[in-house]
Amino acid sequence: MLITTWHPDMSLSKEEAIEKARKDAAKRAGISPSEIQVKAVEDAEFPDMALGASREDEMSGQMITPGWRIRLKAGDRTLEYRATKNQLRLYDFEGENFLV
Amino acid sequence: MNRNNLALQIALALVLVLIAAFAGQVRKWQNNWRSATRIMPVTSEKVAEFDREEVDVPPSDGPPEVLVKFREGVSEETVKAITAKLHDRVEDEIEAVAGLAAIDDLDNREAELIASEYRRLPEVEYAEPSFEISLEHGGGGFKHLHPNDPRFGDQWALANYGRDGGKDGADISAMRAWSTTTGSDEVVVAVLDSGVDYTHRDLVNNIWVRPVQIKQYEDREIGAIEDTSGYNAIENSGDPMDENGHGTHCAGIIGAEGGNEIGISGVNWKVKIMPLKFMNKNGFGNTKDAIEAINYVINRKRAGVNVRVISASWGSTVRSKALEDVIRKAYEADILFVAASGNASANTDQSPHYPSSYPVANVISVAALKRDDQLASFSNYGAKSVHVAAPGAGILSTWLDDEYEERSGTSMATPVVAGVAALILSKRPKLGVDELRSILLKSVDKVPALTGKTVTGGRINAAKAVGGS
Repeated sequence: MLITTWHPDMSLSKEEAIEKARKDAAKRAGISPSEIQVKAVEDAEFPDMALGASREDEMSGQMITPGWRIRLKAGDRTLEYRATKNQLRLYDFEGENFLV
Repeated sequence: MNRNNLALQIALALVLVLIAAFAGQVRKWQNNWRSATRIMPVTSEKVAEFDREEVDVPPSDGPPEVLVKFREGVSEETVKAITAKLHDRVEDEIEAVAGLAAIDDLDNREAELIASEYRRLPEVEYAEPSFEISLEHGGGGFKHLHPNDPRFGDQWALANYGRDGGKDGADISAMRAWSTTTGSDEVVVAVLDSGVDYTHRDLVNNIWVRPVQIKQYEDREIGAIEDTSGYNAIENSGDPMDENGHGTHCAGIIGAEGGNEIGISGVNWKVKIMPLKFMNKNGFGNTKDAIEAINYVINRKRAGVNVRVISASWGSTVRSKALEDVIRKAYEADILFVAASGNASANTDQSPHYPSSYPVANVISVAALKRDDQLASFSNYGAKSVHVAAPGAGILSTWLDDEYEERSGTSMATPVVAGVAALILSKRPKLGVDELRSILLKSVDKVPALTGKTVTGGRINAAKAVGGS
């Protein structure tokens, strides 16, 4: 199981979110972060405050939340990360959502 | 009663009538003087030096026809130019609200027509006919009450004038409702959320404070908690301060203090908001803490607090039997549970969202409308599982640090309905939860966009709900 560290007071820029996602994707894929390709980064509006990627047993505020959708290619897999300045989530990875 | 006393009382009555008549004549003289001069509204940034010039304008026969609020920064010269172009005159400046003026139409046209002309102007925040206020509900016209909160004009949910792509009248009829009741601080609404900024200047007077006769909250495992104003289930403390903003936004929709010349007005001008915090600063929390928070509300109800409504602007697609059970306990405690239908654009008849989809008798599931009276594209819907819709897109409300923000979501629609429930209870405090829920679901305006999308097919109407017209 991948250990995630989430700091409630973190404040991310878009570039920092991309880098954080890249590192997480690299760990999951067992490759170097430099091998991770950034496929797309786009502004997005997510349906709730868990960025549409709530975890098991998680409830979130039903407010439209702006952020970034980050698509990374790790080997032959595409991973979708969703980020705001306060959080980064991995969406639907092997059927689960993760708070990074 | 002897004859001397009777004569004295008749004489006294005659004197009072004469005084009243004289006072009325003085007022008429004052009005005639004002209408013969031109008084320009000034913005709050200007020193109140009026450009008074004597103009040869006949006094108006009747009261001012339209009330117009010019936006901050609009100069006197601009106002002069606008009213001159429309062949109107500024009859009076309403000093209590910067930029608000009573406008008289020199062509004696319909007041609503004049108001609609002003509303189309970018310099105008809002414009409305000056309605006749009467003591009786008559066959013609209706009573309504307009708050003096300066940003009320931006609250389309409460009064939609058709600006910015909106549809005139597509609102909850709040002003008509307020002619019946503006709420009561005897009614307590629990906002189950990320907490509330209870120091916000537009909320502080409407935050519930535990009465001295109610004992502090006690948890069997944790012990006593000094719950002065609500509960924090994350930290098991009595401090539900909001670090996110979402809960504060929802609280403001329900009960930002109305008529205080600050910011906005909630659906209730007066109410008591009980802040509950179970979602963290990023706006999410777990089922266990939600359950603890509801447990707190039920405990306070049993201790004697008149908490009648829970506003729940949160959820997920995961069903929890434990959460459903505690909501059922809230029903048994006579508490209404108003919940967001969710923002997945999904039909919850097929893809349930919780807690709004729990089949418990006190639950009301709320969808979100846009200002053009269409269902918001993000809003969940369900002909069997979503009960009613309310404004939920581009909603202005309170935010952290005495600020205000516009936000969207079924999160915003939910407290509108919770607020209307509180308005009903301010007039009918003895209503049970079943009847309260029934009244709410019968008090809608049918909206074509909601046909087949919600149980009621309608937008909540606060005036109908409180028995106004």
